[in-house]
Amino acid sequence: MTYDGFPPFISAQLHYLINHFAHPVRVEQAWSGSKYSNTLDRFTLLIPYCLDTIKWDVIYNAEFPHAPPDIIFGPEDEDFHPFYNESGGEGDSRSIKNSLATWNNKDPTRLLALIWELRDQYMSYQRKRVGEVDDDRLKFEICTMLSREGIEMHMSSGVEKPEEVKFAVPLMDMNINKMVVGCPWRHPQKISLQVIYPVNRKYVSAPSAPHLKLMSTPALKSLFSVDDVKLPPWLDGMCMAEYLPHLEEALERQVSEAVSLIEVRRRFIEALAPLFGRPIETDSVFYRKSMFFVASGAFSFLVLFFLSTQFPKQQPSLMLQSSMYFNSQGMPIKSPLLTDYPWSPRWEHSQMAERTFEFLVDESVNFKKYCNEAQLQQNQH
Amino acid sequence: MEGIEGESSGAGRFTLPPMRISNEDIIFCVDVDAESLVEMKSTGFNGKPITRLDAMKQAILLFVNSKLSINPDHRFAFVTLAKTASWLRKEFSSDIESTLTAVRGISATSACGQADLTHLFKLASHEAKKSRAQNRILRVILIYCRSSVRPQHQWPVNQKLFTMDVLYLHDKPGPDNCPQKVYDALVDALEHVSENEGYIFESGQGLARILFRQMCVLLSHPQQRCVQDDVDIPKSLVKKSPAADTTNGEDTVPVTSSQ
Repeated sequence: MTYDGFPPFISAQLHYLINHFAHPVRVEQAWSGSKYSNTLDRFTLLIPYCLDTIKWDVIYNAEFPHAPPDIIFGPEDEDFHPFYNESGGEGDSRSIKNSLATWNNKDPTRLLALIWELRDQYMSYQRKRVGEVDDDRLKFEICTMLSREGIEMHMSSGVEKPEEVKFAVPLMDMNINKMVVGCPWRHPQKISLQVIYPVNRKYVSAPSAPHLKLMSTPALKSLFSVDDVKLPPWLDGMCMAEYLPHLEEALERQVSEAVSLIEVRRRFIEALAPLFGRPIETDSVFYRKSMFFVASGAFSFLVLFFLSTQFPKQQPSLMLQSSMYFNSQGMPIKSPLLTDYPWSPRWEHSQMAERTFEFLVDESVNFKKYCNEAQLQQNQH
Repeated sequence: MEGIEGESSGAGRFTLPPMRISNEDIIFCVDVDAESLVEMKSTGFNGKPITRLDAMKQAILLFVNSKLSINPDHRFAFVTLAKTASWLRKEFSSDIESTLTAVRGISATSACGQADLTHLFKLASHEAKKSRAQNRILRVILIYCRSSVRPQHQWPVNQKLFTMDVLYLHDKPGPDNCPQKVYDALVDALEHVSENEGYIFESGQGLARILFRQMCVLLSHPQQRCVQDDVDIPKSLVKKSPAADTTNGEDTVPVTSSQ
């Protein structure tokens, strides 16, 4: 990611921020503060917070490069004044004020330090807001949840929106990265639970279950999809303190199972080799994808196997790609995704391989016809 | 770099142990000597003749498209070879549109007389260091098509920083050419510079589908390859019978191919 158009002193700080911040920060847009110049000196940062993002505008001034940037927070956060906080409580405005007073535009780390501090302050501010909500049940939940580390919370209030409090609860102490041989992930993969409580200012005898959603860092889906997880039921009268260990136990089991499925996928791909030849390329960490090269007489083509995280319950999807037939842009002709052929998850790997092979022997005739027809159609144009 | 047991034919079961393989940066080096304008035996869509250069371009598109299907993070750059190598497109990219544009921009020159690979190796080594710094690996795919000009190079021994593959298209051997000698020189060059097992394929038949077939074998990821002698693809799709063997159904029927 390069951001052209920024003067070097801003560019260096921005790059450092993006490459080193503990959360993936992105720039949404950038613009120039001056009507007479194209030099970019302002941008909107998208900062992950509470399993969502907050948007802050960072305002430099290209004509006054030694001055620290101004930060403009979102419209919902009119009461967030990190520069004017009373001292005490979590986070102190002094260090921010200090940072701004001694701003060094030649130091590429300063923007990151500033944003980090502000985000910390923001967390405290949200915590305070949530703590002030007059809802007994919520107060109880917060109380019992806070012993967990790393919880972020957010209070949303808007004119049209109902008041609700959102929690992002990191789950499981498992080091998932360590469980994967050859793990390519640069960051630790984490699963969190998003919990949303509607705010009830009146007394409610039987509070309803909060809205729950599992979320994960994106790279985890090569191994395991949180969408496939069936959340344990929330029983009447339950509270987070009871629910979370339940959920974590179930998740740990499922993640362990997902890790063991890596080996299952690997063995299947290995079982394909005697029939389909050595694969051309295989993702040899997660074994989700493998490509083979086969021929039916002079008609040769590539076969791409896609294995989902639900393999072998879910059979592989196949895609065939011609080596000899091309469309008008010169791209090889591909088959649609083939997902319906004889399959049973209870077969031995060798039998799965044989039956898939037999299917493909027959299917190659169809594919050849398909390629021929596609070509004919083009020749007619 | 193969954690693979028993790859010599029939010696053992194929295994693919867990290992992180690198994304590739691949430089295509296309021979643009006048001999690239020799016509293939195959014809194009409309029955019009196609040149070796046309077929090479199509083969490159086939390769790039297929490589990106298995992994969208592989990247490509382009070099042409006349007397020596020069960049056509230096920036590595995984964007298919820009590949199309670059490839369309390749045009043949007049007869070059010589082919010096030294500069190709130089620029490839330079790029290989950059790729390595990004945890990627570099590969050069040379597509050569001169039947009498043996490629030369002055490259130090033991500088093997990248993998090299070669595709060689040539005329049928005759009294006025020496494709066998050229082939041998290509093999020597490959063995001299290639870090991982490099593959070399040749064809004098002038059939585009053979070029495409060979190009598909080159898709093999260098970190997951077997030695060339053990290459068993494309595998024949024949229903198993007791006497089934694994010939590649290739040297059969000369198909009058309209691609």
